[in-house]
Amino acid sequence: MSTQEELEREGAVATRVDDAWVTIVWNDPVNLMSYVTHVFQRYFGFTRHEAEARMREVHENGKSVVSTGGREKMEVDVQAMHGYGLWATLQRSGE
Amino acid sequence: MRGFEERDGLAVAELDDEERMVIARIVADVGLLLGGEQFGMDAPVGRDAGLDDADEIFKHLQGLEESLAEPDDPAVLSLLPSASRDDRDVADEFRRLTESDLRDLKVRRLQTMWEQLSEDGPEWEIRAEDALSTAAALTDVRLVLASRLKLETDEDADRLHGEIDLATHALDTDADDDLGIDPERVWLGMLYQALTWLQESLVQFSVATEDVRE
Repeated sequence: MSTQEELEREGAVATRVDDAWVTIVWNDPVNLMSYVTHVFQRYFGFTRHEAEARMREVHENGKSVVSTGGREKMEVDVQAMHGYGLWATLQRSGE
Repeated sequence: MRGFEERDGLAVAELDDEERMVIARIVADVGLLLGGEQFGMDAPVGRDAGLDDADEIFKHLQGLEESLAEPDDPAVLSLLPSASRDDRDVADEFRRLTESDLRDLKVRRLQTMWEQLSEDGPEWEIRAEDALSTAAALTDVRLVLASRLKLETDEDADRLHGEIDLATHALDTDADDDLGIDPERVWLGMLYQALTWLQESLVQFSVATEDVRE
C-alpha cells in the first residue's frame, strides 16, 4: 500500500504533460461485443455499464481511450490488450 | 456441435471427431504461424479420416508458417499488431519489449487448447478460471481465419454470412456451378462461424460465472 504522500507524488508525475499517454482500443470485425466488454471489465476493473459504454464507443466510433497514464503503464495495457486479441495503440495524450 | 454450457462448474462443449480434428488442425497451424513447435507428433485424429476436403483446404493454409522477423503477413500482424499507427519509434520499441512474451503466451494457450481437443470423447471441458484465456486463444484463431477471408470491416463480416447462406443453399440445390462459389472460402467461412459461435457461448459462461462470484 502506498502512503498518501507517495500517491500525491505519483499523481503529480502522471499529470506532467510529458508523461500523459493514453491507450486506445480500435474496432475490428472479429472481436465479439460480449468478449470486448468482458475483457474491459476483467482487465481494467470497469463496471459492466462502463465497460459496455467503452465497447460501444469502439464499435460505433471506431476507437475508445481505455486508459491514461505514464508511457510504461500504457505499454503494459497495450500488451495486455494484444494478449486478448484486441488491437490497441498508445500515444501521447492530446495528439 | 454443442456450444459451451455450465456443467458442475465447468464449461462443457460437445464436438464430434471430425469437428475436433478440424479445429485442432487450425489451432496447430496458428501455433506454427506464431513460430511455436509442432504440437504433438500427428493430428489428434488420423489425418485420413475421410476428410479429403479438409486436407485440400489446409493446403491453402501452409503459407502460415512464416518467420515473424518480417510480420508483413497480415495474419501475423493481426496477432501481433503495431502499438502505434504513425510513430515508428513507439511501435518498434513496443515490439522489441513485448513481441516474444506475447508470442509465447499465445502459443502456450493454443497448445493447451490443442491438448484438450486431442483427448478422447466428445466433451471439451474448460475450468472456469481458464475460460477467458481459452476465449482469447479462440480470438487468435478467428483473427487468422478473418485475415485469410479478408474480413477488414464489420460490413465484410456481415457479407460473409450472406455469402455462406447463399452457398449452402446453392449446394443443397446443386446450383453451385452457376454462382461462381469458391468452396475454400465457404469452408473457411463456416469454420470461422463455428468458432465464433463456440467463443460466444464460452464468453456467456464466463460472464455468468463472474456474476455468481460477485
